[in-house]
Amino acid sequence: MYAGPAFKIEPNTSLRPVTSKLSSILTPAMFLLIAAAPSMQAQQAVPAPTPPQTQTPVNTPTVPKPAPTFYRNLVVIDPAHGGRDTGAQISGTTAEKEVTLAIAQKLRPALVAQGFTVVTTRDSDPSDELATDVRAGMANHNRPLACVLLHATGSGTGVHVVYSSLPGTKEKSSGRALPWNRAQEPIVAMSIRLANEIGLALQNDHIPVLLLQTSVPPIDNLISPAVAVEISPLQEGSGKATPVTDGAYQQRVVNAIAGAIASFRTHNAPPPTQSTPGRVGVSQ
Amino acid sequence: MIPRYQRILFWILVGSILLMGGFLLKGCREAHKRLTALNDATPLAAPTTAATEEVTFYVASDSDGAIRTVRSQVALPTDASLKARALIESLLAQYSQPESSHTLQSGPSVEDVYLLTNNLPAGAKRTIVVNLRGSFADNHPSGIEVEQLTLNSIIGTLHAAFPDFEEVRFLVDGQSRATLAGHAGLDHPYTLEDTSIRPLAPSEAATQP
Repeated sequence: MYAGPAFKIEPNTSLRPVTSKLSSILTPAMFLLIAAAPSMQAQQAVPAPTPPQTQTPVNTPTVPKPAPTFYRNLVVIDPAHGGRDTGAQISGTTAEKEVTLAIAQKLRPALVAQGFTVVTTRDSDPSDELATDVRAGMANHNRPLACVLLHATGSGTGVHVVYSSLPGTKEKSSGRALPWNRAQEPIVAMSIRLANEIGLALQNDHIPVLLLQTSVPPIDNLISPAVAVEISPLQEGSGKATPVTDGAYQQRVVNAIAGAIASFRTHNAPPPTQSTPGRVGVSQ
Repeated sequence: MIPRYQRILFWILVGSILLMGGFLLKGCREAHKRLTALNDATPLAAPTTAATEEVTFYVASDSDGAIRTVRSQVALPTDASLKARALIESLLAQYSQPESSHTLQSGPSVEDVYLLTNNLPAGAKRTIVVNLRGSFADNHPSGIEVEQLTLNSIIGTLHAAFPDFEEVRFLVDGQSRATLAGHAGLDHPYTLEDTSIRPLAPSEAATQP
């Protein structure tokens, strides 16, 4: 279970000076969401085990620290479907919900090996259906660097990496909160970068990849960079296709995804010591 | 005198026979209902001598995720709603052919199509409402790519035939539904646009901030 960030950057005590530094990562709409959700802040503001980097005078009134945009070492995995929602029927006896769970259980240690803390929306097959809104809520609450929605299908070939079909926007939001159905909009550009990272990693492992733009629930409701990864049977040459239930095939895909997310972290959220002014707002 | 245990056994057997008969009847009725739904060949309209016209179908391919345009001569009703319905039926019928690159189950797929044009409030978009049959959605292959290709195929074909319309909304059996078959969202309208694009390949340049 994720218990909060291991280390947290102490931003300035005032919100105003941080704003300019945050501008490249913390989009205005997300900022507003954070400002509009004090309860969420309270839950996110987990006490950091290490002392602050700057010494605050005793008499200075303490200003609530803004919650970081996302935690750079945190990844949320959502094995799609579960419970009564079995998803696609992969074979006579195997349902999609079982395959996605198996892949998630392989992806978790691979990501941990890359230094990530991993939160999954489900670790087993729940008795009841897990609504997509609940999954999105869990992911948004944790503010991960990336959210990976796992799917599997018996049609097509290779891996389909899907990002939101919402148009990306750089405009300032006039409202105080993000519309639920367009929560992904301000962060679509980062999701596209994440999709390309994963696509390249899979391609380097000689796995056919298609990048698709689709509104697969709950991708549009996520406020963090998010992609859906749909694994299809692997057709290599003219031989028999490798099914998605094949453990070795799953492991190849998992390794590529884990490596790609680590590369995404390096490119988009470098460690605090290397951070440029535009990188503040990201916590470890 | 019949022993008591034999009488109990007799009535248990009678009960079992009645129970099995009930199950058999129920199964027959469900099978009949399912077959009737699949073979509903209600004509769209009275046969006419309408001339064929050239239409553009946006045909999907599962293997490469692409949608290609195919021009074809089809006889269509003159009424716009019936024309839209016939167009989608013709498009989806192609996918039930054995050599199709995007295989779907055969059978009727569209219940109705409505073109919303009259008395629209100011700022409202001209919308086409496609009411799909429940049997079509229930039997559609499940997967992100395969479901989105079906929707994009319909969207592109409608856009080519009805360029004045801006949006399409999908219903299933007259009701709003979250997804087509578990993946592609149906709970929001889609912009009618040219969907004949090939999926992008990942690139190194697109990974950089």
